[in-house]
Amino acid sequence: MTASSRRAASSHRAASSHRAASSYRAGSRAAAKRRPWRTIATAAVLAVVSVGWAAMPLSGGTAGTRLVLIAAIACGAASVAQLLAGRGGKPTEAALGSLVHRTVEYVLTVVRGLPWAEATVVAVLLLEVMHRSRPWHTGLLGIALLGYLLAVHHAETRLGVGALRAQLPLIATGIGISALAVGLAEVHSLSGGVLSPAIRVIAGTAAVIAVGLVVPWWLRRQR
Amino acid sequence: MIDGRSVQAQSEAETRQAPVRWRLSAHAGRLLTLAVAALALALLTHRPELAGVAAPAALLLSTLPARRPAQVSVRVRPVDSGSVEGVASALEISLAGQGDYDAELRIEPGDAIVPGPPVVVTAPAPVTAEAVLPFTAQRWGRRQIGMLAITLTDEYGLAEGGIRLGLPWIDCRPVPARLSRSILLSRLPSRLGEHPARAVGEGGEFAGVREFVPGDRQRRINWPATTRRGALHLSTFADERTQTIVVIADATADVGEAGTSSLDLVLRGATGMMTRYLANRDRVGLVMYGSRLNWVAPGQGDRHFQRLLDVLMSSPGGLDKAGGLTRLPRAALPPGALIVVFSPLLDASLIEAVRDVRERGFSVVIVDVLNSEPGDDSTKVSELTTRIWRLEQQAIRFAMMQLGVPVVHWDGQSSLDDPLGPYTGRIMVVRR
Repeated sequence: MTASSRRAASSHRAASSHRAASSYRAGSRAAAKRRPWRTIATAAVLAVVSVGWAAMPLSGGTAGTRLVLIAAIACGAASVAQLLAGRGGKPTEAALGSLVHRTVEYVLTVVRGLPWAEATVVAVLLLEVMHRSRPWHTGLLGIALLGYLLAVHHAETRLGVGALRAQLPLIATGIGISALAVGLAEVHSLSGGVLSPAIRVIAGTAAVIAVGLVVPWWLRRQR
Repeated sequence: MIDGRSVQAQSEAETRQAPVRWRLSAHAGRLLTLAVAALALALLTHRPELAGVAAPAALLLSTLPARRPAQVSVRVRPVDSGSVEGVASALEISLAGQGDYDAELRIEPGDAIVPGPPVVVTAPAPVTAEAVLPFTAQRWGRRQIGMLAITLTDEYGLAEGGIRLGLPWIDCRPVPARLSRSILLSRLPSRLGEHPARAVGEGGEFAGVREFVPGDRQRRINWPATTRRGALHLSTFADERTQTIVVIADATADVGEAGTSSLDLVLRGATGMMTRYLANRDRVGLVMYGSRLNWVAPGQGDRHFQRLLDVLMSSPGGLDKAGGLTRLPRAALPPGALIVVFSPLLDASLIEAVRDVRERGFSVVIVDVLNSEPGDDSTKVSELTTRIWRLEQQAIRFAMMQLGVPVVHWDGQSSLDDPLGPYTGRIMVVRR
């Protein structure tokens, strides 16, 4: 939607602000009742896929891999539980009870408020680094992690899949750049040859074109 | 006493410019974590594919909006100037200057306030978006609704703007007790009203027939009686008078569980009684017997009812009850008034005051609202003290009944018609 059409929509709605308020109420109540089970399930599946993909192969890790794997599994599970239970808030009336109740309530509140999704991302990336893996393996992991973060965001804000549509060009460009980086890494790992310099030039040109397309589009949006 | 000017000032809606505090959202924080962690690992491990992992997250973060409103205009107005405990009320919120940001409005509740669900105003919003936020006050009293929390979010949920505003105070009235019939005295003061009295007057209710005397109005001649008796007779009518009632609300003690304590029942019963009698166009007065003594002389009308409610829920003011006042002021108790006392009968000075009122010739009814006993820890001493306490309470009630003051017990759950049934069913004879 352009700026002028937005202004027109605003002036149109101002005339019937009361009706507009009614529709906001109806929408908010409907949103409050729904629980985004599908998005939470998607986030859970993507968390499992990310951890599993980063852990493969299980036998080839360096020292401490198992510890990081356990941490990644715990963080992933906690982030999904956080989506189900909601973020931590103020202590409830139970906090006025005995010392044990108060302590449990405090710990639960703190645990529920921790950034588990961020911890999962860091743990999964560490797990990936601890393995010797091919660049395309890491590229796919990046896509899975991005999907996981988007699913977590959509589960928290209870937005529909339609809200992703506006971001699709950016996501596609990002994945394209990621693919170029993966390609660059693969080329770098080649042991010389006639094709190597040509492929690097093509990769660089493609990156420049991609950035050249994205930056004007982004600037237009800012206006 | 509540300061009328402050209440008026707070109830008036005023537009406030509220500054917005901007920060990264949780989603943006997560994307930033992914980008930074991937780039750091790429540098440390010399693996360019990890930099590629950071690219989508970095590109999504690039859409972080540059233009953000520094402040928005908020106007808050309660839908009702006062609310009733347990009954849903609402706030009307007008929001302007939010731009292309979604706004989530929610109430961070104060004491004994239950907020309704949050309301989301989605972009593009009108120039001035309006929303209604419901809430319920759970207990009577003058209390602050809480804080209004507004969260502005951009299209992609990357930036969050927080606004917090104090919400106005509301006067939450006690829910009035149900009372469908009223106690009517046999002698009513000579003021024009709607209750037929024993005295003959100019009312509409037929009282009897008497012989015509010169000077009587001819239109009142009862022709059937005249024909039967052979002499002029005319109809007489009952005079119509108003009743004066003074409600004494005992606020010296507040025992029992919150929500059903003796003070809760006193206020609900007094409100129900005042509502009923004012609806009958009777004259109602109030004596608030607490740490201070406040009273309102009997009167009628909606404005008088508001004055009564103000005093009922007022903070201390008026005559100081130093050492227990046992004699209520004459100005608060007009002659011939019916006195209804709502009390747990735990304060000796109030009992003395009621005894004094009765001895001054007033008709008094006590509604006992005591629904709890002292704690019993099942020891012999405790059992004994509880028994002694019960006997004392029974003795107080017995002494009152011996004085001609009926004491009825009200549990707060049922209608007031149940305990007052023996006195509302027929005219209450005034005994001096």
